[in-house]
Amino acid sequence: MDDAATETAALSRARWWALFGKGAFDALCFPAWMIALALFGVGSLARDVGHPIGAAMASTLFVWAGPAQVIFYGGLAANVPLPTIALAICLSSLRFLPMTMAFLPLLRGPTTTRFTELLAAHYISITVWTESLRRLPHMPRRERVPYYFGFANACIGLTTLSTGVGYLLVGAVPGPLAAGLLAVTPIFFTISLTAGARIPADWIALALGFLLEPIALVVLGPGFDLMGVGLVGGTIAFFVGGAIERRRA
Amino acid sequence: MSDLLMPYVLMIVVAFLPTEMWRSLAVYLSRGLNEGSQFIVWIRAVATALLTGVVAKLMLAPTGELALVPLWGRAGSILIAFAAFFILKRNVIGAVLAGEAVLIAAAYFSGAHFNF
Repeated sequence: MDDAATETAALSRARWWALFGKGAFDALCFPAWMIALALFGVGSLARDVGHPIGAAMASTLFVWAGPAQVIFYGGLAANVPLPTIALAICLSSLRFLPMTMAFLPLLRGPTTTRFTELLAAHYISITVWTESLRRLPHMPRRERVPYYFGFANACIGLTTLSTGVGYLLVGAVPGPLAAGLLAVTPIFFTISLTAGARIPADWIALALGFLLEPIALVVLGPGFDLMGVGLVGGTIAFFVGGAIERRRA
Repeated sequence: MSDLLMPYVLMIVVAFLPTEMWRSLAVYLSRGLNEGSQFIVWIRAVATALLTGVVAKLMLAPTGELALVPLWGRAGSILIAFAAFFILKRNVIGAVLAGEAVLIAAAYFSGAHFNF
């Protein structure tokens, strides 16, 4: 374990890039392929509305949120008014607020600049979030930034390419496999969240999300359901999980 | 405005900005928060419940080809993947492959009318 002095000392340039490379390698070993497959279909959606391949790939690089990209291109295809599309995307992307807030304290060190934080925040997607929350706590703090940027850049880079491939291969994927591609996201999220659950609050939140969403979908409707599930389920999980931990202690 | 640039401008204004604002806002709101603080534990629980809510929503109200797969196939793929994760001693790749196998098999054998 690093002591306090080496913990804050700067990494050598070679060590920084070695950690960046390790992060990229770990991502390419599996998780990056999960988002790459999940966003494969975004390319074909962009093509359906007549946008160029460059715009489809840029949407992955900039928006970096599968559901938002699906709402965007799906909305354009259905001639939904632009402000309505923007509002729907705004609501669907609200998840990034609690996700990024929970993540940044893991990354932040004494020398982390505001610019580094804003850049790091851009890479937050569900895959990058769950995998980082699982991997970073085990690493010395000063090694987290290069590892994270290596990991996240490999994810976004591979997925940008897959969006382009999806654009070119539109319609070439047989139905059952296309269904399989759409299911990559929910299946991988479930496993990644399960693998990352550490304390009782995590497990309770995990279960409540599943159980409350069918109710919320009916009660709150498709716009505010997820926020309601997050706030209600997360708050119950926090208090019940805390009570379980205190009883154990 | 030029037609060539329009797809990019639309993407930035209608999709990128409404998404990125939450990430950027979080940078400022999480200022000074400590990794082990109770507030962060609560925020993480909120995010986790929200994300499994996303999973449930994707499977309960599916879009595209996924909507042609019967509910038992969609729910079964999640349950099998979850079970496989523990049976295979916490193997993420094995669990995802097991879930995908169930889903694709359900799509293939359920007689759903896909356009080949």
